[in-house]
Amino acid sequence: MSVIAPDFKFSKFIQSLISDVVWFVLIFSLIGFPIIMMVLFFIPMPVIDGELLTPFLAFTYLADPSRTLPVVQAFMETDMFRIMAFPGFGFAALLAAGTIFVERKMLAKLQLRVGPFYCGKFEGILQLMGDGLKLISKEIIIPAKADKPIFWAAPVLFVASAAAFVALIPVAPGWVVADVDMGLLAVFAVIGFFPIVTILSAWSANSKFPFIGGIRALFQMVSFEIPLILSLLGVVMVTGTLNLSEIAASQSSFPWILFLPVGAIVFFITMLAELERIPFDLPEAESEIVAGWLTELSGMMYGLVQLGTYLKLYAFAALFVVLFLGGWNGPQIVPQFPMEIVTNGLELGPVTAKIGGLEPILTQVITPEMINGVLMFVLKTVGVIFFILLPRGVFPRIRVDMLLNLGWHKLIGLAFVNIFIALALVYAGVLGPGGLQ
Amino acid sequence: MKFELVGEIAGNYSTVVLMFGFAIVAMAPALILSRMISPRKKSNPVKFLPMECGQVPSGEGRTHFMMQYYPYILMFVVFDVMAIFMYAWGSTLLELPKSATLPMLGFFGIMFGAMAFALYQSGRRRIW
Repeated sequence: MSVIAPDFKFSKFIQSLISDVVWFVLIFSLIGFPIIMMVLFFIPMPVIDGELLTPFLAFTYLADPSRTLPVVQAFMETDMFRIMAFPGFGFAALLAAGTIFVERKMLAKLQLRVGPFYCGKFEGILQLMGDGLKLISKEIIIPAKADKPIFWAAPVLFVASAAAFVALIPVAPGWVVADVDMGLLAVFAVIGFFPIVTILSAWSANSKFPFIGGIRALFQMVSFEIPLILSLLGVVMVTGTLNLSEIAASQSSFPWILFLPVGAIVFFITMLAELERIPFDLPEAESEIVAGWLTELSGMMYGLVQLGTYLKLYAFAALFVVLFLGGWNGPQIVPQFPMEIVTNGLELGPVTAKIGGLEPILTQVITPEMINGVLMFVLKTVGVIFFILLPRGVFPRIRVDMLLNLGWHKLIGLAFVNIFIALALVYAGVLGPGGLQ
Repeated sequence: MKFELVGEIAGNYSTVVLMFGFAIVAMAPALILSRMISPRKKSNPVKFLPMECGQVPSGEGRTHFMMQYYPYILMFVVFDVMAIFMYAWGSTLLELPKSATLPMLGFFGIMFGAMAFALYQSGRRRIW
């Protein structure tokens, strides 16, 4: 039985609606519209058909695809699109969501369970959406005497650090958010953020288990940073550049893992340690210290940290692909588009179906080479992610002293072996100028 | 050899900062929305105590905690910087004359000796 307020009157209801609309129009035209115009004044608008695009023209263009598609193309070439959608946040978040689902399903199969099953019609495919809705509607409990501003900011900063890492990864030729000359050093700089955010979150919670977990995370990330940095020096020596796009492009004939397998193995192991994944999940060892540095995080704060963790996992797997597996290089399996159909339209008897303005997009932005590059990159990245997920169902957790022993004695030694292999390859004339290409 | 202005080089990195900022702007509303639609009940002060497996916590949350790995941290401070400086040599290896590798091998020797001594000392638990 629905309850209507006792003093409900339909005329009052209409009156309140009208007054809401009047207030909205008044405030928007006095404050919102000038602000939009001021913002648009500072944004460079594209020139389309020899005509500078204004917001007014953009609205009129919406009716005609041959004039809308150039606007879409101009938008796809901006930095904002790269940051928000394709090689940046949206793409990485999509792959991260897929990773979470595959991990849960695959682990269940390894352990003879079923895994997510009921949410969604097919094999629990909507489980992640359900979990997200659950997390966003749960109460966030801040422990007493916690350092509130830092405690609130830490999950967001964790996601933001992972996003800055994603920004440096080239996905296809020219498709990278930040194409910088010192890309690899920038990656090391961004990796250095994660221990800081972790220890900030752990210290601000004013609780013992997060504190122990945070200190463990700090030690682990710090110990494995040196083998991580040293294992990638071999690739830099044989390519002679720190730009990640150039490193990926230099592997058009063969991936560097063929010549530097020791470095690849060392980097993979340090990657597992930096990602806090089993067998190196000491910072969140659930059988020893409740959930490690995630213990006091509840609701959406935990969800954000999970999102950041999986963005970081994608970024590390993509870095492995770019440095050792050849990035976007691979056989061209995407066929060329039938350009006569695009330019002339599809003729079916008396009817001609044609979308004007499609040709420049298909020849300049979304070329078959770009689609093929993205496909190859995603296939390799998914393969690497699979090998990152696999140890979770196979290995037990190792002790802290074993971890430090592995990092400091074995991996650093192997990383130097890799450096000497690269040096020998360059001076024997196998790689570098005059070598194989 | 091309020279660029420092500002231009630094400007290339602005998209990394933009991506960092975009993630903050995109993710902070999730926390705010969650705070708006989720229940907030201050029914019981015990609810807000730090997690200690059901016990009432005793002592302070932020205490001195002996992890006993100081030698590794000291080694990190030295060898992380050394590892980064090796990139200056590694990234220009193809352009350098071969004689430039000899002092680098000497540097490796010093680094190995120092690291071996530091690892030996870190293994002597009684002195830490």
